Amino acid sequence: MKQRMLVLLVWGWCCNAALAQSEAGALKVFGYFQAAFGRQKDVDLKIELKTFTLQQLNLFLQKDLAQSWSAFVNFEVVNSYSSLREWGAFSLEEAWINYRRSRQFKLKLGLLTPAFNNLNEIKNRTPLLPYIIRPVIYESSFSENVETEEFVPGRAYVQAYGFIPVGSVKLDYAVYLGNSPNINTDRSRGVTGYDTSRTFLAGGRLGIRNDFFKAGVSATFDEYELQEELAKRLSLPPEHFESIPRLRRGADFSLTSRKWFFESEYIHVSYDFVLPQVDFDKRFFYATLGYHFSERVMAYVSYWDAKENSLPLREQGYQVPTVGATFKFSDDIVWKIQTANAHFDATNPRLDATYNYSYLAVSVRF
Amino acid sequence: MSMILFGFLLWAASAEAQVAVVAHKEVPLDSLTKAQLLDFYSCEVKHWDKQAPIVVVDLKQQSEVKDAFYKFLGMTASRMKTIWLKKLLMGEGVEPLVVKSEEEMLKKVATTPGALGFISLGKVTNEVKKLMIITPLEKQP
Repeated sequence: MKQRMLVLLVWGWCCNAALAQSEAGALKVFGYFQAAFGRQKDVDLKIELKTFTLQQLNLFLQKDLAQSWSAFVNFEVVNSYSSLREWGAFSLEEAWINYRRSRQFKLKLGLLTPAFNNLNEIKNRTPLLPYIIRPVIYESSFSENVETEEFVPGRAYVQAYGFIPVGSVKLDYAVYLGNSPNINTDRSRGVTGYDTSRTFLAGGRLGIRNDFFKAGVSATFDEYELQEELAKRLSLPPEHFESIPRLRRGADFSLTSRKWFFESEYIHVSYDFVLPQVDFDKRFFYATLGYHFSERVMAYVSYWDAKENSLPLREQGYQVPTVGATFKFSDDIVWKIQTANAHFDATNPRLDATYNYSYLAVSVRF
Repeated sequence: MSMILFGFLLWAASAEAQVAVVAHKEVPLDSLTKAQLLDFYSCEVKHWDKQAPIVVVDLKQQSEVKDAFYKFLGMTASRMKTIWLKKLLMGEGVEPLVVKSEEEMLKKVATTPGALGFISLGKVTNEVKKLMIITPLEKQP
């Protein structure tokens, strides 16, 4: 009798699994890479380097699991990755399951890139971007000079989002939760990638759009631990730098016509210190104006401006005017060219520098 | 007599230039608004009234019909491709099925559950459901 019950249970489970399978779509594997050849020049020191690089490769897995459920995984490798040569990096950027209740309510659960302003969610989707070098805080190759993840949230773990149609416009919303930035990255202290703090990242975006424009405001709140090293450098007690409330505020505005497009963002990051002499505020702005000469050829000009305080230790900024163009050879192959002048200024004159970047790249989708 | 013939030719030419938005016969809607059509084509809405998934079909080559359809949506072909690519790379949509001719479009829509496409009004048969007729702006009174 027990055996029969077991057979029936297994049979039932198999039928159920088969039914679920029939509702599921096929596993889709796709991705893209961007290979570049470029020249970087230190204008003041007249030091120049030329290099080929496989700037980035992303591999996606996507599957519709049932009527309202789908799964998505995004692996990313950057800078000609080779573990043998210790080049570049390989990372799991996203792995989430998506539930679609309606267009007004969708839910992502798992590792995800949260909505913040215009570019954060698509910053690594190189086929969607005209740039080879992205606006400075979104460009991972600048991360030695710019603390990119201080400007925008890098990852979250649950996000509710959707849009509400009102006449000819749509009102977008997204709210999310993630870990605080104080994740243990010290291998000597055991498991890494775990949030050992008591706080969360909380954030969201509210937006409005129609066929021609998009605008929105974004914000995140978390608490940042800056204590030990900073306290030592400033000769102040470490408790002044525990759990510093950090607020990121952003605004984005984009316009599209048949030939022209314009996009812009502003970000302000503030840290709520009890010490008036300490100021870690940061701000970033970018604006891009582009023109489609034809279905295949597009050109743009862009200006990026960032300022990072770390007062009283230092204050620095970056101004980057850049121009570029793209040529769509086919739907899957796009050639890009870009030149940028990046000026880094700082209170410490040794850090003042101007670099010129000129790149040619091909973005390939597969 | 010549006036009747001229009128008939004008009507025939007008029917040829008009575009019909067609769908698989079993879709739950009988008509569409422009806003719905744009939402369906741009993957903002992915299911027919919470039923079968919407399978968007597009014409590969530029043609008078394709131009009239995209013009009605207020889009260019390249902008629509960018929207599809963005949805695909964000894990929130799939690219449309692409066919080479209106005849292939008719066949694909007729045989694919949930399919949505567009063809010249004069080529519509009873194998598909006609949801909307697009009259090019220059033909409108």
